[in-house]
Amino acid sequence: MRRSLTRREILRLGGGALAGAYTFALAGCGAHGGGGSQSASAENYPQQTLNWTIAFGPGGGNDIMSRQLIEILQKNDLYTENIVATNLEGGDGARGWGFLYDQKGNSYHISSTSGSFMTTPLAADTPWGPTSFTPIGMLAIDDTLFIVKEDSPYDSLEEFVAAAKEEPLPIGGIATINIDFIMAELLSQQAGFELKYVAFNDEGEMISALVSEALDMIASNPAEVLGLVESGDAKALAFSGKERMRSLPDVPTLDELGYNIDVNTPRGVVLAPGVNKGVQQWWIDTMKKAIKTPAWRQYLKENDLIEKVLWGAEFEDYLTNTQAKLKRTLKEAGAL
Amino acid sequence: MDVFADLIYGFSVALSPVNLLYLAIGVLVGMVVGVMPGLGASAGIAILLPLTFSMDPTSAIVMLAAIYYGAMFGGTITSVLINTPGESSTIASTFDGYPLAQQGRAGPALVLCAVGSFVAGTIGLILLTVLAPAFARLAQSFGPSETFLVVMIGLLTLVVIAGGKWRYGVISALFGFTLATVGVDLGSGDQRYTFGSPELITGINFIPVAIGLFGIGELLYTLHQGEHTEERGFFRVSGRGPELWPKREDWSESGGPMARGSLLGFVVGVIPGAGATVASLMSYSLEKTVSQTPERFGKGALPGLVGPESSNNAASTGSMVPLLTLGIPGSASTAVLLGAFLLWGLQPGPLLMTQNPEFAWGLIGSMYLGNVMLVVLNVFAIPLFANIARIPARIMVPIVIVLCVVGTFSVNGSIIETWIMLGCGVIGFFMKLYGYSPAATVIALVLGPLAEETLRQSLIISGGLSIFYTRSMSLLLLIIIGLLIAAPLALSIYRRRSTRDDR
Repeated sequence: MRRSLTRREILRLGGGALAGAYTFALAGCGAHGGGGSQSASAENYPQQTLNWTIAFGPGGGNDIMSRQLIEILQKNDLYTENIVATNLEGGDGARGWGFLYDQKGNSYHISSTSGSFMTTPLAADTPWGPTSFTPIGMLAIDDTLFIVKEDSPYDSLEEFVAAAKEEPLPIGGIATINIDFIMAELLSQQAGFELKYVAFNDEGEMISALVSEALDMIASNPAEVLGLVESGDAKALAFSGKERMRSLPDVPTLDELGYNIDVNTPRGVVLAPGVNKGVQQWWIDTMKKAIKTPAWRQYLKENDLIEKVLWGAEFEDYLTNTQAKLKRTLKEAGAL
Repeated sequence: MDVFADLIYGFSVALSPVNLLYLAIGVLVGMVVGVMPGLGASAGIAILLPLTFSMDPTSAIVMLAAIYYGAMFGGTITSVLINTPGESSTIASTFDGYPLAQQGRAGPALVLCAVGSFVAGTIGLILLTVLAPAFARLAQSFGPSETFLVVMIGLLTLVVIAGGKWRYGVISALFGFTLATVGVDLGSGDQRYTFGSPELITGINFIPVAIGLFGIGELLYTLHQGEHTEERGFFRVSGRGPELWPKREDWSESGGPMARGSLLGFVVGVIPGAGATVASLMSYSLEKTVSQTPERFGKGALPGLVGPESSNNAASTGSMVPLLTLGIPGSASTAVLLGAFLLWGLQPGPLLMTQNPEFAWGLIGSMYLGNVMLVVLNVFAIPLFANIARIPARIMVPIVIVLCVVGTFSVNGSIIETWIMLGCGVIGFFMKLYGYSPAATVIALVLGPLAEETLRQSLIISGGLSIFYTRSMSLLLLIIIGLLIAAPLALSIYRRRSTRDDR
């Protein structure tokens, strides 16, 4: 390198390298959302990057399921273009689904549902409701597990309830007006203790709070906390499913303990509002293939999800009915 | 040795061909970004972040972290050769680096800096390897109240460092918090300050703000200073020959500063809020204090160059500790990295290292390799990178502005965010001009929602403020906050007294 470089060479080496990197970036990222007509017809679908909005933080049940589906869609070449997942957590899903609602008619925006997909519109004045979107289908239902820290003085739900009657104990859950809250609220009503509910935006922060003993118990979908229970860092006290969990056969169900709480989280997928029928059908057909893959069967089994499949309009009906039921429960609980 | 096994695993991740490629790209880009005056590591990372969305998170962090510590190496070159720091963390390197270049010793100076950076980076990494798991365990006793207090410590540190301009630091941080309130309320789901605009429902994204404040703002400031019109004095370094290599006495003179700089830098880096810039300035004054010939400082003393250089590299490594174990960024660059974690779907916090070992240990492993790449690059390609600094501003500035606009737009394809970025560029210029802290704004913007959420949770759990003093870890953090507030007060009283004594 004895001679000094000419200006042209310098440009190529310096700015040129960056500019080159950017042309590449545009080729990869320019697809998301930026203008143009996205209401593609079904024949040539898909042609662009798919934007998967996850309305909750990383590590939660919704996040785990979304990323599992994305992996299945890509590994099996069911979706041949790129898929970009973005966590838009905040406001019990209002942020993420509000974003999806704004992508009207864009067939390259998709999201996965949770309990708050029905409850958040009840609690806040959102412009959208669960039926505002283009439904693809419901894939499974997810139940709730109540866990305490491994060295907690409470070895059973009865012991916890007895202590909570003396002095309110903080119970953590994801979001405010949501399935976790309804669970804890119904439990406190039926057991007769005062509820101190602490809302979290994501599972990681909530688990840190439990491990650091800031919380006494958390209500969570099994997927997020099974690892903690299996590693011995936490004890499971009760499960909300109809039957005991395959992976934790010693944990009693709420029914067995004498409670009657019939609430669960619907795991499904929806497209942005007003996507054309052809693309909707393309997604229903694709998801039918996705749920047959060994990876999805494995996911259901590992996370103790109960398979419940409803497509298109049937899924929409389910959402309407369940929302009405949750609204009644919340009204009775005085939360609305 | 658990840590040892984890580290070997980290190397196996980092050594995959894809990760090696991204590491090499990151290291090169870091050098280029470091060399370009007016473009710092945080801007470089923010501008290149959109590129990583479709990448595997491990490859992405390997690349972005390499930009961060690569820039620490690159910034030195311009500090020494043209008396213009390429990075704020290499300001201290101009004090003695440029005089050395004037004496025709640029070659040995740069080689010693590269070696010092390498040594410091490696010492920092060994400390990171050993301490990170211990920190992660400690962090398990962190609940909402502790998280809130650590965020406060980070912001307070930033403000305290600002010294006499602490009021400006507070205003800058509050500005960031204000921007962070836009969007959906975390608790109730209600909209705040969105004015019915669908674009604002998701809040103000930190990427356009960071790119604007750091990228455009810095460039405008550089132009305002008239640096584009100045003929820069430039010292050519030869890539070969005896004049490149340091003499034996240079080596022995540099050993102490390297060791002190490494340790000091690492400790400063670990503290949330203090980053590489602070570390390098502290190291400079430390070297001057311990030196037997302090009068040589500012006239080309090698320890005054090698100490800060080692220190800024160790600090960039140290700042990975709170980032990986607590999910709390210590500096503007790590704040951008934290935002990136969320985009990649990773949960920062105490569980990151156990739940995503390939990510955390892959990153640590890659940093060892990146440091080796950088020392080789720096010793053999210094003349090449030095030339980048000579690209005329009339060519460089437009290129960087185009990159900022394209980079912002490609994140969400949003024209509103592009305007926010340009607006922040103008704000960033005035902040810089009047001594406000853009870094405090960005850190507050990134941490605002976390601070708000954890404060609310703490208050609900304890039904009042008692949680902050009944939990032992919270109490400890509260005491640290007390010291942070008391220290500058005590220092200013002491200074006033000593100036009186001087009279």
